[in-house]
Amino acid sequence: MDRELTPSESLRIIETMIGQAKSSFSRMSTYFLLWGVLLIAAMITTYMMRDSGGAWGQGAAWGVVGVIGGIASWIIGASQSKKEPVNNPMDRIVGWVWGSFIITMLLMIFCFGASHRDPGAAIALLTALPTFLTGQIMRFKPLIFGGLLFWVAGVIMFFSGNAAVITATYCIAMLFGYIVPGYLLKRQEDGLRTA
Amino acid sequence: MAFAPLDPVLHNQLRLAIVSLLVGLDSADFNFLLEKTGATRGNLSVQITKLKEAGYLTVKKTFKDNYPNTSCSLSAKGLKAFEAYVKAIKEYLGTGEG
Repeated sequence: MDRELTPSESLRIIETMIGQAKSSFSRMSTYFLLWGVLLIAAMITTYMMRDSGGAWGQGAAWGVVGVIGGIASWIIGASQSKKEPVNNPMDRIVGWVWGSFIITMLLMIFCFGASHRDPGAAIALLTALPTFLTGQIMRFKPLIFGGLLFWVAGVIMFFSGNAAVITATYCIAMLFGYIVPGYLLKRQEDGLRTA
Repeated sequence: MAFAPLDPVLHNQLRLAIVSLLVGLDSADFNFLLEKTGATRGNLSVQITKLKEAGYLTVKKTFKDNYPNTSCSLSAKGLKAFEAYVKAIKEYLGTGEG
């Protein structure tokens, strides 16, 4: 370890170690899997109960999964932050991207709700942004593709007046935009931990 | 042409690896550095101490899940030294290195 380094050896060490540090993102797959499943469940519940006239048909499922997902995410985040071996500046940026998304989404739900309009298509379009950015920051193509898919889904949902089409479009976007990338990301994260 | 002398604190395989890892991070735990550098605990601990004594690293000792945890981050002095080291290395390589 203490022998004299040549300049090219030094450069190789620097490049290798910087590369290793760059790939040290916190685990994020759990959030995509959790929210993907919860939001599909909420969408299907709302569709199935749409003619019931009760609170579930009015979208109460979104509120329920929002609370469940929010609490679960908070617990997972608190637990993971204690275990993470590094503080990566990119994690902080990704965190702020999703934080901004949540604030904007809640404000949109409030504004759309107050004007008795369905926020679904607008939220799908908005979801594209953090998903796409996270994919780009992490250089993880399935999430980049997921972001693009949410943009397409948002446009389809906006122009479609058919509840079945809107539900199917949203669920497909969630499946391939959140759950599949989340699963692939989990495999990658597990691989890195055991490598 | 005279070359800039290489910083003896950084011109060491393990110390350079530690600083290179930390340059892109806010902070990293001892075990992370251990895993990425492949060093032994003893050697890593010695080299971290040398970097700390040179003022290149800030070392925080805390508890994580009830276990002692050492967290390291690069200081402003360490970053400046690393940048000067990289510049010097590039100068050496720019003229052909034997």
